Amino acid sequence: MIGFYTLWKREMVRYLKGSLDTIAPPIISTILFIFVFGLALGSRLGAVGEFPYIQFMLPGVMMMSVIMNSFYNPAYSVFQSRWQGNIADFLASPLSYSQMAVATILAGMCRGMIVGLIVLGAAFAFTSLPLAHPGLMALYLVLVSLAFASFGCIVGLWTKGWDGVNAVSIFLLDPLVMLGGVFYSLEMIRGVPILEVLTQINPFTYITGGFRYSLLGIADTDPFVGLGITAMLGVGLLLASIALFWRGYHLKH
Amino acid sequence: MKAERIAISFQHLHKVYPNVLAVKDLTLDIQQGEFFGLLGPNGAGKTTSIQVIAGLVKPTSGQVIVNGLDAVRDYRRVHRMVGVMPQEEVLDSWFLSVREILVYNAGYFGIPAREAGRRADELLERFDLGEKRSAKVSELSGGMKRRLLLAKALIHNPEILILDEPTAGADVALRRQIWQLMSELNAQGKTILLTTHYLEEAERLCERVAILDRGELLAVGPPAELTRSSHRDFVEIELASSAPRDLKLPGLNYTVENGKLRLAGTLEDEHVLEVLNALAREGVKISAIHAERARLEDVFLEITQGFRK
Ligand SMILES: Nc1ncnc2c1ncn2[C@@H]1O[C@H](COP(=O)(O)OP(=O)(O)OP(=O)(O)O)[C@@H](O)[C@H]1O
Ligand SMILES: [Mg+2]
Repeated sequence: MIGFYTLWKREMVRYLKGSLDTIAPPIISTILFIFVFGLALGSRLGAVGEFPYIQFMLPGVMMMSVIMNSFYNPAYSVFQSRWQGNIADFLASPLSYSQMAVATILAGMCRGMIVGLIVLGAAFAFTSLPLAHPGLMALYLVLVSLAFASFGCIVGLWTKGWDGVNAVSIFLLDPLVMLGGVFYSLEMIRGVPILEVLTQINPFTYITGGFRYSLLGIADTDPFVGLGITAMLGVGLLLASIALFWRGYHLKH
Repeated sequence: MKAERIAISFQHLHKVYPNVLAVKDLTLDIQQGEFFGLLGPNGAGKTTSIQVIAGLVKPTSGQVIVNGLDAVRDYRRVHRMVGVMPQEEVLDSWFLSVREILVYNAGYFGIPAREAGRRADELLERFDLGEKRSAKVSELSGGMKRRLLLAKALIHNPEILILDEPTAGADVALRRQIWQLMSELNAQGKTILLTTHYLEEAERLCERVAILDRGELLAVGPPAELTRSSHRDFVEIELASSAPRDLKLPGLNYTVENGKLRLAGTLEDEHVLEVLNALAREGVKISAIHAERARLEDVFLEITQGFRK
């Protein structure tokens, strides 16, 4: 347990030591989102259901921050340790392969959740959110960060260079997040054919929708479908990460 | 039981990289408490063999048994018993200080924080790194990094130490310090597996050495035995007066030429004494004696070059 804790702590310290690089950006980008979309354009976009646009948008922004931060931490850290060679410290230690995977992923989850809560705090500075189902919100936070930290861990093992991590984020995560109802409701895009289809087949739509329901109490998707998708992704990707560590994928020659 | 006294047992270890046969059917036992040297030219497969034990290389076939446990299947228990100093200066240098590197590594081995700190301080002191405790790895010299790597290998007080070229790039003082340290640890009963390209070092420290080339085990034995079997000792006696034709020296391979008597082959002290006595009997005066024992280096070159031909 000490070994597991130490590895988790290493991953956390790695993130927290560069706090200006890692904690400030999500706060700044959230505030920018609030200014641009919420305050400047929000009045033209009108209300979504009973909520002003800014309140509708904030759960989406929060979800986006959780997804990206839990993804980046293990993706960069695992690749960095492989590239630098210090991954040998873990591999030659008595840590089990599942401990290595889980400690790395858990640290990514912590980063995702910390940033999520910071965004929530920043949101409360400008507006208010009803926090309709806090228990469900906590469950979403845990499962979403689990899914994307595990995914980050897999990408960190898979990639052959730094740009691989960025490529996954730009070509896969960004489109899925952007077309996943972060900034619009299904109602708002009704009649825009491609966007409507892409949004409806995008699993992220259900994750964002469910998370929004936990905060606002309104939903245009079934929040439990979203929860089910997130849980399946979380458990599946976690097991896949453990299996890859077990096999020594890109870790051992 | 005999098997229990073997610290490291390579059993038909075979490792093929794409296009490279790195280790070929290596079978070799290292006894508990032994000081063992793994020698071989660049690319012989030394590091690859070692890295199987450190969990960094997957064997293609065969296995390595450490104190009775399979290094792959029982990796957790095996890693607890083994400290590895890698050949490359690989350190977790991104954001940790010198002391933190040691403390974190202790943590991975399950050592509680307070004890980890105590051991880290002790090792920093022992390796003259006390002043650098808060430095980043990038601020260390090459020799300091090697000392840190050695301290890291010792942090969990392992019973088996595997040192991959520990003295490469070390200055004279550090090399002696490492020799001294290895001898002390060995005297405390720890098994030591050393790789080195300095053959005098191996000759001086190792009870047995193995010579590997292109993944194949070519010779194993105590350095003295390997050199003896090479028949390359050499003694030259300069004679002040000319020698009679019939010096009776049965069984010795010698020549007399230009007032010099040369002996070659495997020479024990009594052989030389025998020659000196015979010369004295015949009243031959001697002006100088040069003697040269075969060095491990000669044997090493003979074996590896013979193999490559
Ligand atoms: N990751 C790898 N991928 C492919 N080939 C490798 C890899 N690592 C080592 N090799 C090859 O395996 C062979 C053995 O290498 P190894 O590092 O074990 O040699 P060594 O005896 O430690 O040499 P040196 O004295 O130079 O350290 C070499 O031919 C090397 O090129
Ligand atoms: Mg080597």
